[in-house]
Amino acid sequence: MAVSPLPAQNGTSEIKLSAAKAKSLAVRTGSMSKPGNQGAATAKAKGAELAEQLNEETRQKYVKGKKLGEGTYAIVYLGHLKDDPQSLVAIKKIKVNTEYREGLAMDAVRELKHLQELSHPNIIALHSVFSSRNQNLNLVLEYLPQGDLEMLIRDVEGIRYGAAEVKTWMGMLGRAVWFCHENFVLHRDIKPNNLLIAADGEIKLADFGLARSFSDPYRGMTSQVITRWYRPPELLFGARFYSGTVDVWSMGMVFAELILRRPFAMGTTDINQLELICQNIGTPNEENWPGVTKLEGYVKFDNLNSQPVKGRDFYLGTFGLIGSVGVDLLMAMLTLDPRKRSTARQVLDHKWWATDPRPTAKRDLPRKGGGPAKMGEDLKRRGGEIEDGPGDKVARKLNFAAR
Amino acid sequence: MAADFWASTQRRYWQFSKEQLAELRDKLDNEDKTLVQQCPLPDRRLLSHFFNTQLVKLGKRMPIRQQAIATAQVYIRRFYIKVPIRQTNPYIVMATALYLACKMEESPQHIRVVVGEASAVWSGSEHLPTKPSFADQQDVIPLDVSKLGEFEFYLISEMNSQLIVHHPYRTLQELQSTLNLAPDEISLAWSVINDHYMTDLPLLNPPHVIAVSAIFLALTLKPTQGGLQATIATAAALSNTPQLSKNTSSADNRAPDMTSNKVQNFVAWLAEGEVDIKAVVDCSQEIISLYEVLEQYKETTCKEQIAACMKKRGLV
Repeated sequence: MAVSPLPAQNGTSEIKLSAAKAKSLAVRTGSMSKPGNQGAATAKAKGAELAEQLNEETRQKYVKGKKLGEGTYAIVYLGHLKDDPQSLVAIKKIKVNTEYREGLAMDAVRELKHLQELSHPNIIALHSVFSSRNQNLNLVLEYLPQGDLEMLIRDVEGIRYGAAEVKTWMGMLGRAVWFCHENFVLHRDIKPNNLLIAADGEIKLADFGLARSFSDPYRGMTSQVITRWYRPPELLFGARFYSGTVDVWSMGMVFAELILRRPFAMGTTDINQLELICQNIGTPNEENWPGVTKLEGYVKFDNLNSQPVKGRDFYLGTFGLIGSVGVDLLMAMLTLDPRKRSTARQVLDHKWWATDPRPTAKRDLPRKGGGPAKMGEDLKRRGGEIEDGPGDKVARKLNFAAR
Repeated sequence: MAADFWASTQRRYWQFSKEQLAELRDKLDNEDKTLVQQCPLPDRRLLSHFFNTQLVKLGKRMPIRQQAIATAQVYIRRFYIKVPIRQTNPYIVMATALYLACKMEESPQHIRVVVGEASAVWSGSEHLPTKPSFADQQDVIPLDVSKLGEFEFYLISEMNSQLIVHHPYRTLQELQSTLNLAPDEISLAWSVINDHYMTDLPLLNPPHVIAVSAIFLALTLKPTQGGLQATIATAAALSNTPQLSKNTSSADNRAPDMTSNKVQNFVAWLAEGEVDIKAVVDCSQEIISLYEVLEQYKETTCKEQIAACMKKRGLV
């Protein structure tokens, strides 16, 4: 595949938009509310019927099959087009009605917002949206039956791969991230189990529950994003002004993990994560990262943990698989100072892609076949969570005070 | 601001021609002609102005940005080309649109805060319908958290869950240095952009056209009170309609040289660029006529007519 960022191949997975109408809603308001309160959601029978029909049309187009997984935030079903049982989709039903209504969760809003606009071969496609009874929002997503990248990484015994395969996967991830940034979207939760695998081996970036548009200049963002193991040091230090390079750090961590076949730094707390970064990558200081000590959450690490930034030799020793050019790329992605770190664009411009070995063709990639259940697992999860691990749910906290 | 405008859902699904808009609205009106006759509502622009002032009033009580208010107004406008306004409680529509817009613009407000503030703004005695027949009413809006949550869902559905709105503000900021705009010109253009949400322009034109029109108006409106005529004249000149040109001379005399230079630079810049000049002229004229229409604005009239309409429909 091309080294330079090709414009998105629009149309490959065209979003089919269908009117998703709140049928149940209009009806419900009429029938269940007290007469005095009736007017909220409006609509007399005729209007409602029309809306209902359109939604019904969309809903009828899909057949909801068995449940693939259920989480606190969503239930995932296998589904297919009514006319064509072969055309599988995943239907992610967002639980709106948990206990009492508090408005649509920010995750759901973010996912909708961004997936509606982003169309790229390496980003999960949103086919359509419809509502079902009890006011649930259903996202019809591309069906990705081959599990996720994490499964492949973890199956050390069963799955063998080398530099060529890593190059193919990283290339697909790189293009997805570049495309997001090119469209002013920060993903903010890149990790192997958000990288789903399509039937043809294509990697698809999923879970936009933490994604947001770039902030306007001088407007801060929350630092409580990205699953801890993949979170860059500036966020661990509480930076509120950051750029696409936060995602590049996560990409670098995924890159390292693909080679090591285990996460590069598995912190149990935020401070522990920083310690691991200090030990394994280098301790941030004013020399290697001017201004770092002024960050809100900056923590000084004493001599015990203070390590110079690891040089090329260390990387060559640990990540020799990808060769010296590949190591250069990895080091550029894992640079402590976010201003010196590669951008997604620079990652794609790197020499490594043009260096031997050539990336493996998609069809020859190893696969494990996670099957539908795995996709259910992946989609039901909320962003920022590590399954069964030291749960990191901080990312979920919405700071209402922050502007 | 996110994603590419040219590939956005806004451009693909939410930009119309005037004819298309009129057709959509006629269709809604025809659904129930008697209701339309029985419940007269003010001119759409006056009504939009009413919405605008109400949203600003509500917005002031929370730490939210102008852009969220702008997004909310676009949501309301989109919503009302799909749902007849007379079948809704506009206060709930406003509160919900603002609530959702805050989430979209990354300044989320808790749903209870929005509901609380909305009730405070709209339930106070001064906002009760003034006609004696309504004096017994307690609340204009029976608003609660679940209702807003429910309605949010409806709003999202009506908009086909296409939620990102591109605004002209960013373009304005980007053009600041290119066109060498002074801070007062920027802030005037900024207010013109704020005002354009009271018209159909957000559904008719891409944001950059609106930003350019706003700059054009700011440059020509600024110098004097007579600026409006000058603007009309310049707009007329641009579009080759000479009938208004007699107003030009008086206004031109008063305009300082600095500004006329800037206008010339601007016109030259416009001539070289690929911005649709006809659209800019249309926009400018639309905004000018908005200002004329707004002179008839009376908040009480809007309030009463909406209240009467809701009363009739049993929506209160």
